[in-house]
Amino acid sequence: MISASAFFFYLFSAILLASAAAVVTSRNPVHAVLFLILAFFNAAGLFLLAGAEFLAMILLIVYVGAVAVLFLFVVMMLDVDFVQLREGVQKYAPVGAAVGAVLFGELWAVVLGWQVSPGADSLQGSPTPANMDNTHALGQVLYTDYVYLFQVSSLILLVAMIGAIVLTHRRREGTRRQNITMQQTRSVRDTLETLQVRMGAGVQELGILRPRPRAEPAEEEPRHEHAAGDH
Amino acid sequence: MMNWAAASPEIFLAVAGMAILLFGVLLKKENAALCTMLVLGAFAATFVMVMQTVPQTAYSSLFVTDAFASYAKLLILAGGALTMVLSLDYNERQGIGRFEFPVLMLFSTVGMMTMASAANLMTLYMGLELMSLSIYVLAAFAREELRSAEAGLKYFVLSALASGLLLYGISLTYGFAGTMDFAKLPDAVTGVDGVSTGLMVGIAFVIAGLAFKLSAVPFHMWTPDVYEGAPTPVTAFMSTAPKVAPFVVLLRVLIGPFGHVSVQWQPIIEVVSIASMLLGSFAAIGQTNIKRLMAYSSIGHMGYALVGLAPGTESGVRGVLIYLLTYVAMSAGAFACVIAMRRQGKSVERISDLAGLAKTDLPLASLLTLFMFSMAGVPPFAGFFGKLYVFLAAVQSGLWLLAIVGILTSVVACYYYIRIIKVMFFDAPAPAFDTRSASVSFVAIASGMFTLLFVLALGPFTGAAEAAARVLFG
Amino acid sequence: MHLVLANYFPVLVFLAIALGIGGAMVGGSMLVARQMPYAEKVSAYECGFEAFGDARRRFDVRFYLVAILFIIFDLEVAFLFPWAISLGRIGLFGFFSMLAFLGVLTVGFIYEWCKGALEWE
Repeated sequence: MISASAFFFYLFSAILLASAAAVVTSRNPVHAVLFLILAFFNAAGLFLLAGAEFLAMILLIVYVGAVAVLFLFVVMMLDVDFVQLREGVQKYAPVGAAVGAVLFGELWAVVLGWQVSPGADSLQGSPTPANMDNTHALGQVLYTDYVYLFQVSSLILLVAMIGAIVLTHRRREGTRRQNITMQQTRSVRDTLETLQVRMGAGVQELGILRPRPRAEPAEEEPRHEHAAGDH
Repeated sequence: MMNWAAASPEIFLAVAGMAILLFGVLLKKENAALCTMLVLGAFAATFVMVMQTVPQTAYSSLFVTDAFASYAKLLILAGGALTMVLSLDYNERQGIGRFEFPVLMLFSTVGMMTMASAANLMTLYMGLELMSLSIYVLAAFAREELRSAEAGLKYFVLSALASGLLLYGISLTYGFAGTMDFAKLPDAVTGVDGVSTGLMVGIAFVIAGLAFKLSAVPFHMWTPDVYEGAPTPVTAFMSTAPKVAPFVVLLRVLIGPFGHVSVQWQPIIEVVSIASMLLGSFAAIGQTNIKRLMAYSSIGHMGYALVGLAPGTESGVRGVLIYLLTYVAMSAGAFACVIAMRRQGKSVERISDLAGLAKTDLPLASLLTLFMFSMAGVPPFAGFFGKLYVFLAAVQSGLWLLAIVGILTSVVACYYYIRIIKVMFFDAPAPAFDTRSASVSFVAIASGMFTLLFVLALGPFTGAAEAAARVLFG
Repeated sequence: MHLVLANYFPVLVFLAIALGIGGAMVGGSMLVARQMPYAEKVSAYECGFEAFGDARRRFDVRFYLVAILFIIFDLEVAFLFPWAISLGRIGLFGFFSMLAFLGVLTVGFIYEWCKGALEWE
């Protein structure tokens, strides 16, 4: 009789492996991403069994909630012919299989010859204290003992931010942008003009079809980006 | 409580980087040149701060400052600064002059300095990621150009794979030893009779992950394409400082925590080294693009430098440190010459574009000749001494095969270096290049002076390298 | 360890019920309903017409930019959870450590704001 946690370990692992295989073999890339999400869920289950509660939840929030959605975006954005993309698969399959076999062989060797250093337990930098859950234990060391790495990770996030903007952001010409300061500082006199209209006089005659030209060129070119406050 | 001052150069540099980022974005005007100058100023200040650091371990022994780390950091800062000067003119002429460029280079440098000071496998990994992430963006910086975008993407995908290998190796090591601390790992490693397979595979994966960044064979596939596609100052950057940082961290990991099991990693390093030397020299022969040629040349140079690591001795490490020093100088200088290759406002990269350069621009031709001779290892230029020290170390430890392959491939490499010199001096002149800007000339002349006069300052530099190497064996 | 897992028992029950109901619905309609598919019946259509084209179309890269900026701040928030629950024990140092972290990301936020990456136009 296997224990409940062993049962769930094998259940989650089996689904994880199956869905990971489906990720690389499914023809439709959207299906692949959905299988990836399933794989993330099961990996979160495995983390949970290992006692890494916080990581399990982060995996759900960040990977399932955000990264997988981003993958879907990218899959849709790429707009590539997936049939064409698969043409190379046949050609490269032997190489891929060979690399996979080597890695698998190494893993096998590791599993067979696994031997933990006798002093390993005593060397642990920050073992989880008893009577404390995983998230608390992380919080105790992450911001104090590991402050340097914590700050480096903030720099990594900053670089990611700069990189995303540098590579994808561009100022579009000819689009209107809201400029709140300009909107607020505009006075009524700039836009409205009260005219005495004679009886029987047409708009053409009075020349009020459009605002009178003013000194600012911004008014003359409605497509200019500073002309935002017009409407 | 905590010793803040240990990482003060890194903290200063990072804070300066953020300040420059804000300055650049708030100023609104075109200010790439100004921001580059500010970053250079920050580099200079950091350089001084690194020179004044005292040896200590800090941040729960995640971080160490010692003579070895300081040597590497100074080299990284110098290499970064030289290539940053190169970007000044190039970026403006290519229309990619944006202030994010120097800022990203700065953050990449912070990552490299973190690597140089790593005393824990986690610090190593975080530094490596910070360094690489910035370089992915830099490689794709000329985003309107297909080649640059391709280079960035290719580097990103392959590098992510390498990071995965490295992480895998780190986690295997941790699973085996229960620690990632360099100071504690030797105890765990020596505590077992024989070496666990898990640890062996772990070390192999860590070496693979770092060898990828070094572009050593068989992890070199990305190098020629990325070197060719990336904007030239980025290529110059990639071939200087980001080669130094993974190399010193490889030295530190293999000599320090894994020093006791050198029997295990020595064959890997030997194979990688020989393969890199062979590929670097033979594959470069057929190249027509100078940036691709430099890529193969850098693969070969990493192979020569690894010769010094293979024996795992103090003199070997000293040789590697001197090799890296001369390599950074030669590389920066050679890329300055490549950046000077512009005709009618367009950057040209074919070797045939250099034809008859001696007749149209003798100073540039002589500088490039100097760098090529130095790279080939012709005495009395700087490159010769780097090779001399690593080969000597190999011979002292009885690694004759490495030394012989090294010398033979150096002779082969001479062929393609001297071919460039022949093209410049004896071929019919091509139209003259555009006038160079002062910044490019400055880098070329400064590196040229260093390469030429290194022999005169051999004592101090060797002394510094020796002091740095001694730390690892202390 | 088992104490923690015991807390997740309701999640397991919920999962089992969800799977049971979902499976029953799909399986039930498969078993009970009459299945007589033919080409016209199973063909894809939109509002009675043949499908006009591929559903996959090229997105504007701006969607991607917003998504990736979201992920970065999502990660930032992830770091806040352990910090918030152990703030009492890590003292002032831990508090300022997080402030520095947030400060760095605020620099990034100011950068993207000023750069106009948050504007949709």
